[in-house]
Amino acid sequence: MAIINQATKELQVKIVYYGTAMGGKTTNLVQVHEHVQTAAGNKGKLVSLATNSDRTLFFDFLPIEAMAIKGFKTKFQLYTVPGQIIYNTTRQLVLRGVDGLVFVADSQYDKMAENVESFQNLQDNLKSLKMDLDDIPYVLQYNKRDLPNVAPVEYMEFLLNNREVQVPAFAAAASRCEGVFETLNMITRMLLHKFINQSVPQYA
Amino acid sequence: MAALPPLLEADVQQIDAALRELLTQAEATTALVMDQGGFLITHQGDDQQFDLTTIAALASGAFMANQSIANLVQETTFSSTYQQGDQHSLFVCTVDEQCFLLVIFQAQNSVGAVKYFAAAASDCIAAQLQQARERDPVASVDLAALNLADSESFFRRKR
Repeated sequence: MAIINQATKELQVKIVYYGTAMGGKTTNLVQVHEHVQTAAGNKGKLVSLATNSDRTLFFDFLPIEAMAIKGFKTKFQLYTVPGQIIYNTTRQLVLRGVDGLVFVADSQYDKMAENVESFQNLQDNLKSLKMDLDDIPYVLQYNKRDLPNVAPVEYMEFLLNNREVQVPAFAAAASRCEGVFETLNMITRMLLHKFINQSVPQYA
Repeated sequence: MAALPPLLEADVQQIDAALRELLTQAEATTALVMDQGGFLITHQGDDQQFDLTTIAALASGAFMANQSIANLVQETTFSSTYQQGDQHSLFVCTVDEQCFLLVIFQAQNSVGAVKYFAAAASDCIAAQLQQARERDPVASVDLAALNLADSESFFRRKR
């Protein structure tokens, strides 16, 4: 859960990118790392715990500081989970203490079943941690829109964004950095709104 | 997952004092308190040669992975882990169900001393956290000043 440090006026927030294997979660972090505009020293190293074939083994981690927001230093910790099914225990570990989620869906038609399965897996893993998706700000990203044979956005909305409350969704081509910052800025905005509306945030 | 209790500045000062004492007694380099989510809560000691934010995130993940392994071998928990290096070694132990204490120390130093003094520091930190849990929540931090009008301004892409 987020930490608000009263002494140093710092807000620390954890955002996890979730989704199918090879869906573009790591690519999102790589693009943020390469292209984000920050003051000197406000962007940490992108740490990837990957297999020798570049598949995420444990998680990717990018600490990053947003532009100063009226006296508060806002530090974001961006994580990805491993998409491969065999690493489900690892996904549960990474979800601990999550504040906000980006679900990265692969837009290719033949990935629709995997998207739905991964979205259900996200809800199951949150339940195992006694958390509920209804209580956590999240956004959807329909990635790989630059590839042929993609499903219409409306169809993906029907599959993934048909819960009681619809959430913001973004078409993206993360490999071209399209939609990456729009997604990150929206989840950031939703998170900060949530903190403001909470009666007693955690702070130090 | 249990939430970190609301902490006042005085709580952090007490925890920092415990960490400083630990560093002196164990002749360690750096000590930090982190939570299960990978957040660095506070630290004392050398923070120039180490990226403590990343260390907290990775160590938290590794420590939690060890807890899962503990369950697989019918242990409730592994209460501490020790990683030996050539230059620096790491010792991590639980403070309470929410937080860990991590100590970085010169590899030639005795891990026994670090373990011994870390246990005392851990008790002290846990007591402070417990005190915070038992205290009535006080007025929350005023985040109303956060400017949310323009979501583009949080993270901008380089042109």
